[in-house]
Amino acid sequence: MDSQREVLGIVNRSSDWSEELCGLSESSISRWLQVNSLPNSSRVAVLLRQISEKLFFLATKSQEQVTEEYKALSKDLQLLANDLQTELG
Amino acid sequence: MHIYAFGSICRGDVDKNSDIDLIALVEGFDDRFDPSTFSIYSYKRIKEIWEAGNPFAWHLATESRLVFSSDQSDFLVDLGVPNEYRNMRSDCEKFARIFHDAARAIESGTESMVFELSTVFLAIRNFATCFSLGTPTQSDFSRFSAKRLKEAPVPISSSSFSILERARILSTRGKGDAILPSETHSVKSELDSVNQWMNELLNRIR
Repeated sequence: MDSQREVLGIVNRSSDWSEELCGLSESSISRWLQVNSLPNSSRVAVLLRQISEKLFFLATKSQEQVTEEYKALSKDLQLLANDLQTELG
Repeated sequence: MHIYAFGSICRGDVDKNSDIDLIALVEGFDDRFDPSTFSIYSYKRIKEIWEAGNPFAWHLATESRLVFSSDQSDFLVDLGVPNEYRNMRSDCEKFARIFHDAARAIESGTESMVFELSTVFLAIRNFATCFSLGTPTQSDFSRFSAKRLKEAPVPISSSSFSILERARILSTRGKGDAILPSETHSVKSELDSVNQWMNELLNRIR
């Protein structure tokens, strides 16, 4: 929840978008890209989808490997959030 | 591997806003499943939540239907009834905290307003579901659990509740009309009542 809030904050504070990014599901990201006329190939789109994938994986937290990979994924997530901040900053 | 449907589709409680909840039970790890479509649980983890009497175990035990079994067994039925639900107080306190964080963000005029409204909806629903589980005959896993709580339905207007539900769908499924500032204002004016409702119910279970 906190990670999602942080990432959405980075995006939504960065510009006066036509519509805010409401969530990090694939469908929410796709809607936001379309409404704000951003191509799927843009760096922001790629970063958001990478973040989304990692967040969904962490949110499941139910497959056994997650315990082992949790720290690495959390670190990756923070690095991606930093990249996003730089990209939009 | 086992695949189950659960939630509104199994209750027959469907409308245009209903989605289809699916869970895959796998041995250890299975990357064939898309986590945005399936909840993915290992058999080991499912046994743990059954043992802990977790609300999700009760949800699955009460409202799931087998869709596919690789060995002809019905794994969840074979697990029997989950252990007694004992964490109502701590779970309700957790969802009250989630509500407070989101309500604070809304009050401060957050840039991520739809997400925070969606979080309010999630917190209210899960708070009520956990509270209802304290009385097993009244357990309610639907998104309307807070409105249907027999002892004390959430004191929020239907229009505000509907705005929160729209926010949840926008945030998770990217569907629906954008939330207007006037709608946010309307919800904001009722957050204090929701806060009082949660506090009253928490006082009952403390």
